[in-house]
Amino acid sequence: MDFPQGLKYTKDHEWIETAAGAVKIGVTAFAVEQLGDIVHVELPNVGETFAAGSSFGTIESTKTVSDLYMPIAGKVVEVNKAAVSKPESLQEDPYKNGWLVKVEPTAGKVEGASLLDAGAYSKFVSEQDH
Amino acid sequence: MTETTPTRRTPLYEEHKALKAKTIPFGGWDMPVSYTSVLAEHKAVREACGLFDVSHMGEVVVKGKDATRFLQHVTINDPAKLQPGQGQYSAILNPDGGMIDDLIVYRLTDDEYFICVNASNADKDFAWIKQQSAKFPGVSVDNESPRYSQLAVQGPTSLDAVRALVSQADQAKLEALPYTNIMRTQIGGKPALLARTGYTGEKGYELYIPNEAAVSAWKTLLATQPKTGIQPIGLGARDTLRLEACYLLYGNDMDDGVSPLEAGIGWAVAIDKPDFIGKAKLVSQKEKGLTRSIFCFLMDGDGIPRHDMQVYKGADLIGKVTSGSVLPTLGGAGGMALLDPRKVAVGDVVEVDVRGKRKLAKLVKRPLYKAKVKA
Repeated sequence: MDFPQGLKYTKDHEWIETAAGAVKIGVTAFAVEQLGDIVHVELPNVGETFAAGSSFGTIESTKTVSDLYMPIAGKVVEVNKAAVSKPESLQEDPYKNGWLVKVEPTAGKVEGASLLDAGAYSKFVSEQDH
Repeated sequence: MTETTPTRRTPLYEEHKALKAKTIPFGGWDMPVSYTSVLAEHKAVREACGLFDVSHMGEVVVKGKDATRFLQHVTINDPAKLQPGQGQYSAILNPDGGMIDDLIVYRLTDDEYFICVNASNADKDFAWIKQQSAKFPGVSVDNESPRYSQLAVQGPTSLDAVRALVSQADQAKLEALPYTNIMRTQIGGKPALLARTGYTGEKGYELYIPNEAAVSAWKTLLATQPKTGIQPIGLGARDTLRLEACYLLYGNDMDDGVSPLEAGIGWAVAIDKPDFIGKAKLVSQKEKGLTRSIFCFLMDGDGIPRHDMQVYKGADLIGKVTSGSVLPTLGGAGGMALLDPRKVAVGDVVEVDVRGKRKLAKLVKRPLYKAKVKA
């Protein structure tokens, strides 16, 4: 399973870019595999602000609905409309075309003790997937 | 808190693991939810053929010279209408008219019946039927669930797949088997039962096979793939298939607080029988009229309905979604809901509360997908 090195991860299975300025957020390949067929994605409006750990949308498979959680505090500056109109695209590529929202971090940069690097997240996932 | 109840595994568990199935706990069992993708598996059953391990389902055998009279008392339908080899959809009720379970009753001989019950209710059903039989000294009730594996073969090419299991001598009988009927046959040299029934809305068969012959039957059926397109199907697609056909799911669409009239299966109630458990309540419901009833609906626009979501007509809360999902064959989403029939009718537009947002839905005639079971 692919967890790109340049990204940070949460235990709720979101990823976040670490670049300066507005950063993209999405769900991990593990989340996508666990969900199965993704049939619906609901995202917030541009301009909405969220606290770290709060729910900013939902992702639905044939069977279940899961909340999407903000890895950091920030303001939504762009949403990926293609992910909403073609939710199955997340299954093909959760990291590039499958990004969900672009967020301006409240702190000015991506930071947080709860964010994991690719190695730590990979280890976390292997413990989940017993 | 961790789950402490040990989950049971069917004799096909290792086959599922080898096929890399995703499994989930269901009714006390560890069962495959999908092998590839729910949507792909759903399509395969509608267009070709699917193989389901439904060995978690329960089997109860009732026999004796009073078996017919006993089942007239304990089930809602009338088994006296069955010739040997025929089956009927039915249910068992508590004295308040609530459904203990829905089930299929097959008549094997004049005084022997084979009953297929839901996995999560199997122990409860057996205990209830056994207890009721105390007043019928000529009747024996046996729980045969531990002996049988059950495979469902469903889809347009299902007959070609099942042929591979049946001896030359039984081929003609298999081909002529009418919908809801059952026949005895040998599978892997063991005495088995083969019924023309299912839970998908497609032509199909349900096979009751002694455990020791289950793995070889599973493999023989899958080996027909080049000819039939058969593939293994998990409980995920089983649920979307049955929902399109508007077949009820116990614990979702009805439970022991819902009557068969409310659940929309009044056609299976032989209300004119002299007596049966729960009859008084059903007669009273018929006289007074129902305050809730199962409706089918299709979403008009986005939003996916789910179990327990509230349904409104204007400001009026009129009931709840009992089952909801995307509908892979029909497109869009929809489901079934228990609504107040004094406030709405087929053709009305209602609103489903999807996590705080009202989404439009239209009440439509049952079923959503017209079954092809008699094809």
